[in-house]
Amino acid sequence: MKDEYYPWGGEFTTCSAKGCVAVVILNVDYTPPDKVAIYGPLKTENIGIEKIVANVISNPNIRYLIVCGDDIRGHRSGSSLVALHKNGIDEQHRIIDAPGAIPFIENLNNEAIDRFQKQIEIANLIDVKKREDIDKIIDDCNAKSPPSFGEPYIAIRITPTATTLLDDKRALHSKIVMNYMGKIKKRGE
Amino acid sequence: MFSFTKEQEILDISGIKIGGQPGLHPTVLFGGLFFKGEPDFESGRKQLQKMLDISKKTGNPAIPDFFIRKEEYIEDILVFIEKTVPNNHPFSIDIIEPSLKVKTLEYLDQKNLLSRTIYNSIHVGITDEERNALKNHTPNMAVIVAFNPKDKSPDGKIEVLQNGANLTDIGLLDIAKKLGIKKILVDTAAMAPGDNSGASIAAIPVIKEEFGLPTGCAIHNVVEKSKWLDDFNSARKPVDASSNINIQLFGGDFAIIGPIANADMVFPIIAWQDILISEYTENYFGIVPDDSHPRRKLF
Repeated sequence: MKDEYYPWGGEFTTCSAKGCVAVVILNVDYTPPDKVAIYGPLKTENIGIEKIVANVISNPNIRYLIVCGDDIRGHRSGSSLVALHKNGIDEQHRIIDAPGAIPFIENLNNEAIDRFQKQIEIANLIDVKKREDIDKIIDDCNAKSPPSFGEPYIAIRITPTATTLLDDKRALHSKIVMNYMGKIKKRGE
Repeated sequence: MFSFTKEQEILDISGIKIGGQPGLHPTVLFGGLFFKGEPDFESGRKQLQKMLDISKKTGNPAIPDFFIRKEEYIEDILVFIEKTVPNNHPFSIDIIEPSLKVKTLEYLDQKNLLSRTIYNSIHVGITDEERNALKNHTPNMAVIVAFNPKDKSPDGKIEVLQNGANLTDIGLLDIAKKLGIKKILVDTAAMAPGDNSGASIAAIPVIKEEFGLPTGCAIHNVVEKSKWLDDFNSARKPVDASSNINIQLFGGDFAIIGPIANADMVFPIIAWQDILISEYTENYFGIVPDDSHPRRKLF
C-alpha cells in the first residue's frame, strides 16, 4: 500500500494502518482509541459518504465500520450510509431506501460500491452515545482479527470533462462571452 | 462588473425588490437565526432589530432566515415571526427535513403568512409529500438550490435547473412553476472548500444570462467549512464577511450571509461594493440606481 493512496481527502484522523476498524462519528462527543484505523465525522449524505467509501476500500485491513451517535438531523447521513451498504444505489445513483434529503452517490463507480459492500461489515450504533458501549464494540471487532481483504482498491473519482474548447478570449464560461466593458451575452448569439 | 443582455426579472416581495441588472437594486441579504440549540427568542429579537437598523442605514434589504430544526420549534418560531418581524416584512424559512417542511407550510398557511414567505429551499431531494404541500400551501417566493451531486460546475447547475439531470423527473424550475410558485430565486449551491467551491460564484453570471432570474448563494458556507482558516483565527470573520462581495461582483442579487450576528460586518461591506458597482454600471450601461440604493444613502 503506497502512502499517497491512503487515505483520501476529508476530515478525519488516521491511527493504526493495520487496524481493522473505522469509526464514523455522527452527533456524539467521542474519540475512539488509537487502535482503530481511521475515524472522523460524517455530515452529508452524499459527498461525505463518498469520501468514507473511498477511504475505507483503499485500506483492505479495514473490515468493520462502526457508525455511532445521533444521526444528523435532516441529512440522516448515518442511516443513509447504512442503507448504501445494505442496498447499494439505483439507476439514478440514489442510495436505495436512504432517508437522507439528497442521498446521491455520483463520484464513485459501481465497482467501488460493490467492493465497499463486500469488504466491510457495518456495526450500526446509531443512537448509541456511551463511550464504553462504543469501545466495547471496537474491542469485539478487534478480537476477531479478520484477515486483510486483499489488495487496496483505489476508487477513481469521476470528474466531468469539459466539452467546449475555450478558444474565445472573451469567454467567461463556455455558455457566455463578455465584451471589453463587461457586457455579457450568450455565446454564439 | 457586468451587464446582461438577457432581460432580468425583478421580483417584489412585500416591497423588497430582488434582481435586475447589476447596479439597479441593492444586494439583498439573508441573515440566519436559530441554527443551534433551542431557539433563544430574546437574543433573536435583539439581533433581528440590529440587522433591520443597519439595513435601514445602508439601504440593503434584510431578510431574516429562520432555521427550523425540530417540529416542536415550528409554532414558537412562527409566533416569533408574527410578533417580532415588522408587519408585511418578508422572511425565509430554512429547513432540511422534508417532513418538517410539510408541517411548517401548513402552519404558515393557517397563520396567513405565506404571502411573506420565501421558501428556502427546493432542491433535487424534493419529495412527493413536499410537492403536495407546496401545491396546497404555496409560498410567495422560493429559493431553488442548483445543487447537482453529479456535476458541481456551472453546467451541472444549469442542468438540474433545466432538466433535473436525471435526479428529478423534470427541471427544478419547471417543478416550481408547476407547483404554482411564481417568484423564483436561484441559489448556486456553494460547496465546501476543495469541492469546486468557486463554481457557485462563476455560475452566477451564467445562470443570470441563461434564465434572467435573481441569483445568489450562501458563499459564507464555504468559509465556515474551512479548516485551513483555523490557523488564522482573527481573519475568520473578515474573510467570511468579505467573501460575500464575490456574489455582487459577479452580477448576483442576494447573499445568504449565515448567522444574523454577521450582519454588522457584512452590510457595510456589501453596501460599499454596491456603490462601486453602481458608479460603473451607471456610467457605462446607464443603469440608474433605485432610490433605495446604498449609493443614494452614503453620500
